[in-house]
Amino acid sequence: MQRTAQLKIVNRFGVTRHLPLDKNLFTIGRKAENDLQLLSDTVSRQHANIVFENDGYYLVDVGSKRGTYVNDQRIERCALQHLDRLRIGGDDDQQIFFLDESVERASAIFESSPRLTLSPVLQDQHRIASANEELQKLSRFIEVNQAFKFSMTPDDVLCLIVDAAIEITGAERGFLMLRNNETGDLEFKVARDRNRNWVVGNEFSMSRSVVEEAFKQNRSVIINDGQESEKLFERDSMRSLDIRSIACIPLRRFQMSENMDATTILKRDVIGVLYVDSHLVSGSLTQTSLRLLESLAFEATKSLENVRLMHEESEKKQIEQELGMARQVQMALSPTAFISPAHFEIAAQSVPSRYVGGDFYDFMSIKDDRSAIALGDVSGKGFAAALLAAMAQGALQAQFTANLPLTDVIASLNKVLVQRSDSNRFITLFCGVLDRDGHFTYVNAGHNPPILARISGEIETLSTKSVLLGAFDFVEYKTRQTRLLPGDVVVMYTDGVTEAVNTANEMFGEERLERLIQDSVTLTAEQIKQRILDDVLAFTHGLPQGDDITLIVIKMK
Amino acid sequence: MEIHIRTSGHVTILDLNGNLIIGRSEESLRETVRQLIAEERRHLLLNLADVPTIDSSGIGAMIKSFTSVKEVEGKLKVLKPSRMASQLLTITGLMSVLETYDDEGAAISSF
Repeated sequence: MQRTAQLKIVNRFGVTRHLPLDKNLFTIGRKAENDLQLLSDTVSRQHANIVFENDGYYLVDVGSKRGTYVNDQRIERCALQHLDRLRIGGDDDQQIFFLDESVERASAIFESSPRLTLSPVLQDQHRIASANEELQKLSRFIEVNQAFKFSMTPDDVLCLIVDAAIEITGAERGFLMLRNNETGDLEFKVARDRNRNWVVGNEFSMSRSVVEEAFKQNRSVIINDGQESEKLFERDSMRSLDIRSIACIPLRRFQMSENMDATTILKRDVIGVLYVDSHLVSGSLTQTSLRLLESLAFEATKSLENVRLMHEESEKKQIEQELGMARQVQMALSPTAFISPAHFEIAAQSVPSRYVGGDFYDFMSIKDDRSAIALGDVSGKGFAAALLAAMAQGALQAQFTANLPLTDVIASLNKVLVQRSDSNRFITLFCGVLDRDGHFTYVNAGHNPPILARISGEIETLSTKSVLLGAFDFVEYKTRQTRLLPGDVVVMYTDGVTEAVNTANEMFGEERLERLIQDSVTLTAEQIKQRILDDVLAFTHGLPQGDDITLIVIKMK
Repeated sequence: MEIHIRTSGHVTILDLNGNLIIGRSEESLRETVRQLIAEERRHLLLNLADVPTIDSSGIGAMIKSFTSVKEVEGKLKVLKPSRMASQLLTITGLMSVLETYDDEGAAISSF
């Protein structure tokens, strides 16, 4: 027999890995030397092995503390079958499935038959193959839909799930209920029969007690031949409905937290139940079909989640459009036409990208004929970035108005950002104060170094090697000074300029920008700004850019 | 992006493979570091040899990892950043905070 099996590992983010079981001994445990390393502290250093012997694969516990489970049954040694679910200790960070490709092949042969029609007396083995096909069909269908962004609604997915469940089990009817997030109660979403018709009216009646148990206890319930059921309440309800067999499984979702902070872990909750029943067939719902149903439920809720996210995405796009307009307003608040100070020219412009971004700039006259100039870029995109940009701009204005020295302004802005925003949002900022006599004092907190083009033809870059704002509370910000002479040009820019891409996926780049500025040094500030923007636009051929493009040009008179 | 974890003495080495950019890759880095800290592994070496691209979210994940490790009095250092990653670390000033090495042996013995 050939070794054709693999482990399918799905982590809590839904990322799937396949590990081929291509060795006679495949080890699992917490130690790095294992073939599969699991980091949970409920996993022993050497926990279990998968052994290949003549007749197949076996999962063997090698004296673990917290046990090894196959389909929730604790095992010492167990022959593995296609679609078995493995649990190692108390590790539920990932779902591990055993896949045997020889079964997959069997299903492929089955698939090639002209039309798949299932009879209630279908043999279990065939049912596994067809169920496997259903699973594949479902995931293929959903993948295709996602790829082409067809308008598949979550309801379409629910129907597919129920139809697949009926086909897998050979049951007569299937229901899918989801929890209403406001009331916490279960609501009917789909009710189907085996001819793929909707079940209507009184036919909705079902065993409430079974549903309650699956939903509240978060466990799968299978009842064969209800007439013999030991639990009175079930028997009563089932008898009155004349139902002989029921399978009901909870639908669990790996919920991703809104807050991207890694300390809020993902919650696992029951979002509904999948229920199938039959009054004709007794004893048809085997452990195998239950297991298949469980894998269906797992795949299905994942797909459902994806489709839901896709729908949210399109809603989000609409919100982004509105935010885009808000962004235009915000940009309009940044000065575009300056009453040029006596001793230098200044020109600035920001071109927002398709999305809401976080570039901001400002220019203020402060005491003693000095001017403060700031250009910042908030990491990430979207509403939060735009808001943080507005907040930072406001904070800078307030501090400069209070006439604080530059190092204090930057240090206190950093402190506020560290305290107020989560640590995966930060700002790169270039901020300088220009005196009347051309003394330019600046701090560069992680921002692309502005380019200083001397009238003499030399090029310098303005960096203080300081770390970006909002990341660390222990860093100090130091200033540097330079003297700008008449005719010298300083161009401050955000990475949207140098990282603008063309259709060949090449970037505009620093060198091109430097050369361009060097060639333009005799022009006015406004002309230089326009020339750079025109050049970037020509370079990208109008390709929509992922980032805002912002420029400030100053030129000494 | 995949993360493979190995140990050398009391140093845990995270071999990153793939782009460290917005979405799952940066989330899984932060999640992995969180798990390692929970297991009291506090000396982490981030091997960026096979990370071609890092974006601002990736930088965010590195900052978050660095501060989380620092909170438990551990250290996070960086091994073999690509040219592009080095540039980004330099521009953002992170080079001055994150210790960076090109030699694994030297990096490990520096902890």
